[in-house]
Amino acid sequence: MSTTDAQQVRARMAQILKQPVDRLADTTVLTDLVAESFVLVDMVIELQDDLGIRLMHDDLKAVKTVGDLLAVIASKTGRPR
Amino acid sequence: MTEDELWILSFYRTSEISGALFFGRLAKSLRPSEIQHDLSKHFADEAQHAWYWTSCISRLGAQPLRLQEAYQDQYFVTAGMPANLMEVLAITQVFERRVINQYALHSRMPELEPAVKETLDRIMVDEKWHIEWVRAALKRMEPEYGESVIQATVRRFWEADQEVYRKTMQEHEARVQSVMRAREDRR
Repeated sequence: MSTTDAQQVRARMAQILKQPVDRLADTTVLTDLVAESFVLVDMVIELQDDLGIRLMHDDLKAVKTVGDLLAVIASKTGRPR
Repeated sequence: MTEDELWILSFYRTSEISGALFFGRLAKSLRPSEIQHDLSKHFADEAQHAWYWTSCISRLGAQPLRLQEAYQDQYFVTAGMPANLMEVLAITQVFERRVINQYALHSRMPELEPAVKETLDRIMVDEKWHIEWVRAALKRMEPEYGESVIQATVRRFWEADQEVYRKTMQEHEARVQSVMRAREDRR
């Protein structure tokens, strides 16, 4: 995933979470962005639908931050960040 | 109504609200499909159930307690976040079975108030359908995800369910048993 692609995914995440995009730094912990964890579940499902990729439980095991999630998505889309 | 009874009914209400919010959000973002259709009905049911419990508590002359955490949240902490729609349905299947067991336990309580019995009876009909539609949807997903992957996912959430139950939901059973004992003693 190119830098531009990563920025687009980040912008989409911000849109789904109804957060300003500058709150979604690579180091931002995902659970700090939402009051209810199910909002993150919905976001991850929407991103997969948008990008035509499939994530499984094991893919998300170590994901804690926005940067972690972008890296996992990059590995699935097969393009470097 | 005792403190235990009010806690139990408020616990049901909070859980139904959390379910409605989750499924409502998901129903809004899914593309048109049989799952979107059934999930929308599921969402509507959960919202309706939250209203039934609110109304029931009110009819019993009380107000719902504000409970902070629904036990759905504990599933995510224990088993990890579901990563796709199949995993969401797997966790839902496990969770709905637990809910039916809790409602069944409650419905065996002696001297059940008519308002509570009526509410439990109405909700149980919907809960059975929830398990049926989710089971059918998971079956239809087998060609896409693989039967063994789906079974392993359901098993993982079953194991999480035992853990979550031990940590949090036992409070429900303990309070139901406490109310039951008090009523048995009165007889």
